[in-house]
Amino acid sequence: MTRETMIKNFLIFSTGLFLLAFTLGPFIWMLWISLADRADFLVTGKVEYSFSNYYQVLSAHSLHFLDYLTNSLIISTITAVVVTFFSSMAAYAVSRMRFPGRSFVPLLILAMSMFPQISIVGYLFEMFSKAGLINSHMALILPYIAWTIPIALWINMSYFTQIPLDLDKAALVDGAGRMKVLYKIIFPLALPGIFSSALLVFIACFNEFLFAIMLTIDYTAQTLPVGIALFQGLHGEIPWGNLMAASALASVPLVILTLIFQRYIVAGLMGGAVKG
Amino acid sequence: MASNNFLQNYDKGEVRTAWIFIAPLLLVVGVFVLLPVLGTFYSSLFLDVSYLPEHFVGLRNYVNLLSSPDFWQALRFTLAYTVAAVTLEAFFGIIFALLLNESFPGRGMLRVVILIPWAIPTIVSARTWQLIYEYTYGVMNYLVVNCGISAERINWMGTELGAFCALVFADVWKTTPFVVLILLAGLQAIPEDIYQQAKVDGAGMFRRFYKITLPMLMPVLVISLIFRTIDSLRMFDLVYVLTGGGPGGSTRTLSYLGFEAFANDNFGMGSTISVVTFVVAFAITLIYLRVGKFSEQLK
Repeated sequence: MTRETMIKNFLIFSTGLFLLAFTLGPFIWMLWISLADRADFLVTGKVEYSFSNYYQVLSAHSLHFLDYLTNSLIISTITAVVVTFFSSMAAYAVSRMRFPGRSFVPLLILAMSMFPQISIVGYLFEMFSKAGLINSHMALILPYIAWTIPIALWINMSYFTQIPLDLDKAALVDGAGRMKVLYKIIFPLALPGIFSSALLVFIACFNEFLFAIMLTIDYTAQTLPVGIALFQGLHGEIPWGNLMAASALASVPLVILTLIFQRYIVAGLMGGAVKG
Repeated sequence: MASNNFLQNYDKGEVRTAWIFIAPLLLVVGVFVLLPVLGTFYSSLFLDVSYLPEHFVGLRNYVNLLSSPDFWQALRFTLAYTVAAVTLEAFFGIIFALLLNESFPGRGMLRVVILIPWAIPTIVSARTWQLIYEYTYGVMNYLVVNCGISAERINWMGTELGAFCALVFADVWKTTPFVVLILLAGLQAIPEDIYQQAKVDGAGMFRRFYKITLPMLMPVLVISLIFRTIDSLRMFDLVYVLTGGGPGGSTRTLSYLGFEAFANDNFGMGSTISVVTFVVAFAITLIYLRVGKFSEQLK
């Protein structure tokens, strides 16, 4: 073994260990505290482990954990479905049809995604107050659609352009409409891309915080991030066990989703980032 | 392509269908992004506080904002935070991407594990870090004291420097995976024979990194850093959970300052801060794009 391979192997081993500790450390700590009956055991040395924190979080109605979860799931799912529908239609037009503005529209939409959320949310609050939408699912679904559709458009575009145009032409000659071509030909072929954009939109909505905290008031519309950010104990002291159990319940599904579909997520991030 | 467009004959039916296909997208973005942005700019010209009739004040909100020390502190903090976080993310991003580009047993597992911080919602990870930084029984102080880094516990949230570092660490943890993924794709695009040639010429491992890997990775690195910078400049949720802008308002980002104004029912000032936040982010993006082009010309 040459000196260089030895150095290299040592670097790989040490960096690998560091990466493992770096990425898993906080996550494992979250799970650990969620199973412990007290969070201060590093100092007191006394601790017992059980699932009681999880039981409390899921069964105590006053904590509203299930309400937050339901709101998050409803809002993220509806947004992902609508965004997938609208963005694939637009991506189809931009990537496969000839019309004035086809190169301008994607750039305009990309520019729209540059605005920080804070420069949108104040006006949305006034707009939704007048419309009586504050504290409803709609108050989050509508801005989430607009906020996530640019990235979905760019990801879908990058997949659609790889499909040969001859397929469309043949179908159009056979008398199919554009909508039919999109759903019968393009959709199945670009399914991995559409799936990864839908997944990224879902995750983005599930994580979003600023819109959610400004446009909702209580558990009828608040999402999980808001619920967890505002999670308070009855006596002022933060109930870390309960909070970490809620955090684990909120993040484990996303972690599993990410691990199963990591190929699509990575592809989506690449499509959005490198092309955009 | 642009010159060709003038000569092309468009099919009228096709053009109409295309616009119908794009209409829903333009509608939602127009109503829920463009209109609010314009509305925010309009509101920034008004004195709009609760219980008072709003009235037009021109640019007075901007004058007031630019002459308030809170604004300059928030701007300084936002920039310092962005520089620190993005630098560390680039550093760890490159190291981890280089590692995951080598072949060794366990690489597949590490490539999956690195996505975990990215998958956890920011608020959830912020709460976890809040517990980790806890003064008496947090694991961070346990490690700091027991590994001999410091003799005393560190008051993370009580001091300006502590709160700054706490926020930067939490952000680096959460977003380094994104940088790693993009850099990994960049590394895989570098042709292997360049390295073989360099090896034949007797270039060592570190020399190959400086002479080949780093320059060829530059365009991808710039792209990922642009994304990270834009994101950091508008950071809000970590501050909300970890420090609440404290201690003494020292960790307020521009977004947080804007949120505070809105939460205090001062809509005119909130809108003004929002417009300025956007202008700052936009200016920095332009600078970045300049630098990005510059590095392309070098290549």
